[in-house]
Amino acid sequence: MLHIENLHVAIGDKPILSGINLDVRAGEVHAIMGPNGSGKSTLAQVLAGREGYTVTQGSVRYLDQDLLALEPEQRARAGVFLAFQYPLEIPGVANVQLLRTALNSARLAHGEAELDAMDFLDSVKSKLALLGMDESFLYRAVNEGFSGGEKKRNEILQMAVLEPRLAILDETDSGLDIDALKIVAHGVNALKHPDRAVILVTHYQRLLNYIVPDHVHVLAGGRIVRSGDASLALELEDKGYGWLTPETQAEARP
Amino acid sequence: MNAATTTRYLHALAHTGGSPELLPARRMALARFLAHGLPTTREEDWKYTSLDYPERAEWHTPKGAVAAPAGEVRAENYPGITLHLNNGRFAAPHAHSLAAHADSPLAARYLGQLARSASLAQINSALWQDGLWLHVPAGQRTLPLFVIHNTSETDAMLHLRHLLILEANAEAVLIEHYRSLPDIPYWNNLVTEIVLGAGARLTHIVLTEESATATHTGQTVVQQARDSRYHAVSVNLGGRLLRHDTWINLNEAGAECQLDGLFIADARRHIDQHLHVEHAAPHTASRQTWRGIAAGRGRGIFDSRVVVQAGALKADAQQSSRNLLLSPHAEIDVKPQLEIYADDVKCSHGATVGQLDEAEIFYLRSRGINAATARALLLRGFADEALGLLKNTGLADWLEPHITAALPQQSEHAT
Repeated sequence: MLHIENLHVAIGDKPILSGINLDVRAGEVHAIMGPNGSGKSTLAQVLAGREGYTVTQGSVRYLDQDLLALEPEQRARAGVFLAFQYPLEIPGVANVQLLRTALNSARLAHGEAELDAMDFLDSVKSKLALLGMDESFLYRAVNEGFSGGEKKRNEILQMAVLEPRLAILDETDSGLDIDALKIVAHGVNALKHPDRAVILVTHYQRLLNYIVPDHVHVLAGGRIVRSGDASLALELEDKGYGWLTPETQAEARP
Repeated sequence: MNAATTTRYLHALAHTGGSPELLPARRMALARFLAHGLPTTREEDWKYTSLDYPERAEWHTPKGAVAAPAGEVRAENYPGITLHLNNGRFAAPHAHSLAAHADSPLAARYLGQLARSASLAQINSALWQDGLWLHVPAGQRTLPLFVIHNTSETDAMLHLRHLLILEANAEAVLIEHYRSLPDIPYWNNLVTEIVLGAGARLTHIVLTEESATATHTGQTVVQQARDSRYHAVSVNLGGRLLRHDTWINLNEAGAECQLDGLFIADARRHIDQHLHVEHAAPHTASRQTWRGIAAGRGRGIFDSRVVVQAGALKADAQQSSRNLLLSPHAEIDVKPQLEIYADDVKCSHGATVGQLDEAEIFYLRSRGINAATARALLLRGFADEALGLLKNTGLADWLEPHITAALPQQSEHAT
């Protein structure tokens, strides 16, 4: 589904990612872990099409398309979804307005009819229930005055409504208490499907207790320095990241 | 003021008509106006707004009422009374005509007593022909009044005069829509005087959507007694030049006002809004939520002064003015001022001028919404922040198409 080859990304002159290789197949859950500043969030943003990053080398194929050639909205309509680490507040725009405009943008792009307000409301109600959200959330301005946990749940609500093929969750677990974490994990697990893939970007192993990954990758210094199965995350929980960072490795070499 | 201009106004007074009782007051007002002339940009309050054009133009008093134009814009099923003033006049004698009540003791008590001595108010006092009269006796509640002011006469000067008196615990809703034939020049110079008795409540919504060559000047003066409430929303979408001054006097404890507004200054529009709130008593509250958008070569000015007088303990004053510049040639000047002479008050103000937030645009695009739609959605949301008061009035749907039509179009590749 997603094939990243030798991806190099810089902000201005500063290289952030230095040769990422990653294959994600339909049905898989990948966790990308790493210390602060390792480039995890950059990878997530680049996949979603955020401006300000320069791809200096490499390629990203997604469902047989050149992902990097697509505008952010085209990527979204093709099924790529990024749950933001810091969801934005948009005063004056109701949640329901964002959700319906987004869903109908995708439907139009796929040659489907737009949903009217009533049909949309019916379809969104089950998703609200999935995330334990009250209907009143729909009529509040997007993320405005939301608590940290509410913002993250709102991201997962958007994901549940848009039903992406590839969901990228950027530190969705950060700032969540254990109850909120369980709700978010439940929302993500409910979306799991043989046709879909999930990339979890996270600093901590905690979320992986609830969403069990098929593959775990450790990003450090802009590279994937170790890949493994779910047990790698547990090992990181024990030992920290120090033993895997490039400097430590360089010192360890004879 | 040159001789030709003076002659024009003297001539206008001779053709104004109205009650003979008022003539001495009109003559005095005209003399005061002629002594000072129109405000100039040398005055601090007028430094951003030049009245050169209305000064030079050859205005005449309107020739008379015309029939209401077809295709009125009004709220569907809005449970109120719709009134039409065409070129400043009612088509027929009307219960809500100020001219018909000008000689009544109640009108005489307030008429001209509230508006400031500013020269624009003076010329209005001299030349007004008609306007809205609304008197709500104590404890009563009127049906909402929906007033459509339509101008169809080129080069007319309209000095509309409105007087609203709500006695103790009276309630009213007034919606005014200023509109005109497209592209005709005229000068609308209005004065609205409002008296709110103890516990009276007035909701006042004004939509200004005038010709691209219209000049609109005006002032609203509100006197508020104990526990009265004045909620106003101004939506300024049209005209070539608009200048409006709102003066609120919170005279007694518990009086509260909310002054919200939205302006969209695109093309070459010039929109200058001045607000002045006097907290003259303890436990008074004022709220302001204004949003401004300037595009093209548009120019917006938001000047708001809140004065908390000594003794106005526990006064609560909140101002918010956010503004968006959508083109490099647009300009917005914001001047929030808080003057506090009392202790133990709660006051805050925030004013910003900026552009649409690229991070917000990306957030929406990452949800599959194209850039133009994302911008339009953000603009619309920005505008809606100033329209919260409309939510429970049943008027939001009425206003919707007007705002949609006025918001600058967002192209796919706009930056």
